[in-house]
Amino acid sequence: MTNKSASIWLVVVMFIFSIYFLLPFYWILVSVTKDNGQLNTTFGLWFAYPWHLLDNFHEVFTRNGGIFWRWLGNSFLYSTTAATLATLFAAMAGFAFSKYTFFGRSFLFTLILGTIMIPATALAFPIFLLIQNVGLANTIWAVILPQTVSPFGLYLMRMFWDQSFPNELMEAAKLDGANDATVFWRLGVPLIQGGLVTVFLFTFVAVWNNFFLPLIVLGNNNLFPLPLGLAGWAATQTGSTPPYSAIILGALIGILPLVLSLLFLGRYWQAGLTVGATKG
Amino acid sequence: MVTFTVFFVAPVLYAIYLSLFIPQQVNGNLTQVFGGLQNYEWALQDNQFLKSFIHIFFFGIIQIPIMLLLATILALILDQMVDGFLKRFFRTAFYLPYTIPSVISGLLWGYLYSLNLSPLNYIIQQNGGQPINFLASTPMTLFVIGNIVTWTWVGYNMVVLFASLQGVPRELYDAAKVDGATGWNVIRYIKLPLLRPALFLTLLFSIIGTSQIFAEPFALRSIGFVPNDITPNAYLYAVGAQNGNYSYAAALALVLAAVTFIFSSFFLRIIARNSNDQ
Repeated sequence: MTNKSASIWLVVVMFIFSIYFLLPFYWILVSVTKDNGQLNTTFGLWFAYPWHLLDNFHEVFTRNGGIFWRWLGNSFLYSTTAATLATLFAAMAGFAFSKYTFFGRSFLFTLILGTIMIPATALAFPIFLLIQNVGLANTIWAVILPQTVSPFGLYLMRMFWDQSFPNELMEAAKLDGANDATVFWRLGVPLIQGGLVTVFLFTFVAVWNNFFLPLIVLGNNNLFPLPLGLAGWAATQTGSTPPYSAIILGALIGILPLVLSLLFLGRYWQAGLTVGATKG
Repeated sequence: MVTFTVFFVAPVLYAIYLSLFIPQQVNGNLTQVFGGLQNYEWALQDNQFLKSFIHIFFFGIIQIPIMLLLATILALILDQMVDGFLKRFFRTAFYLPYTIPSVISGLLWGYLYSLNLSPLNYIIQQNGGQPINFLASTPMTLFVIGNIVTWTWVGYNMVVLFASLQGVPRELYDAAKVDGATGWNVIRYIKLPLLRPALFLTLLFSIIGTSQIFAEPFALRSIGFVPNDITPNAYLYAVGAQNGNYSYAAALALVLAAVTFIFSSFFLRIIARNSNDQ
């Protein structure tokens, strides 16, 4: 930029936007130190004394018999399991689409990508009824199984296979007598590690943040993932006040893994979006 | 391959099958009776369902342009900045909201807008005013949802657009400078045309995403006035989960999917045609 004062103005504009985007995060950090009374009577954007941070931790972790631990554990269990399986499936399917020519390949690929267009909510009720029919309703599998397929993950994986695993390498390995499984696990997987992390990260966050599916398929409090549990705390009967301070601290704990993943694994996030943008 | 079929094709077929039935009391037992296209006929005459479409339509034609315009401006500014801490800071700060579960951002913003917790209302009350109920009517609630959705998705769209700007060879800018192009001309004649494919993509995802808004109004329900027909998905949920009429909900879901599909292809075609003219 040639004009120096113009570039200073642009930075000022960016700062103003940062305030907008960071305001709710700042508000959470202030609010977790307050009890319900202070939340109602003191200015939301500044601290109040005395602090109640430790009381709030106690409240979050002991409320309803310490169910918050279960929700947190469930969220980790669902996200890790579903993301691992989804990454594996996407890697295998992406490998097949990238390295083999078979009848109807491009049609099938378009069809799978087309499913991104179908609203997830349109699928949720039929999935629930199907899962109920096989007797898995109200189990952890009702949440995990439907989320082991990720069309976006498959799309990314195919791009990664195309980019980082040359066809010549595949042919050379075949000439040496390696079978498909050996090529995939021994040669391919180490080469596309970065892609695997990216797809895992995206599906992990997608499962962690998914709300509609668990809401439909789960009826048991003990199986809820964290966001669903917090929504339950917020929706208390009319007349009584929701436990604001517990909800806000719970929300902070719930978003912490995601924020940390963004701060420390930023380049993998970037990789997913870059592939999506240039090839889309 | 099998898993994709099981979890995408099967539910769609099942939804179509399901939508042809009507729950009815037969000798005191609730059974599903074949009803042909009856559910669809009802859907098209269902005032609440139609209203939810009107809500989301007006929401979309106001919110999507604002969001994409902001994302484009921020991406262009970011692209001008020199690499360094500030650039990384802004990118991360703007992108951060995208990682937050939508029901949690719904709750947090809901509290920021609520009668008793809002910092704005605190200031108003300190100065002797009456607190404002930001969630008092359907349009106001839609405005609040619009703010939450914009807050969540501007950063995501910005990063997608920014990434496609990064793919532009730098020599192109140098060549333009040699030819005497000003900063504005570089944006107008080089960057914006290059952004077009990425803008298609973000527009498409925005239309699909808008048609699916659910968690934000769900979260706001515990804080303010949120009618069942605020968005199509909220109504669908009310029909399916609260009334237990899955077959009608399946029909509504399919209508919603069809309308979304028609809308997104319609918009994409218009834009594609305009860009071919130039």
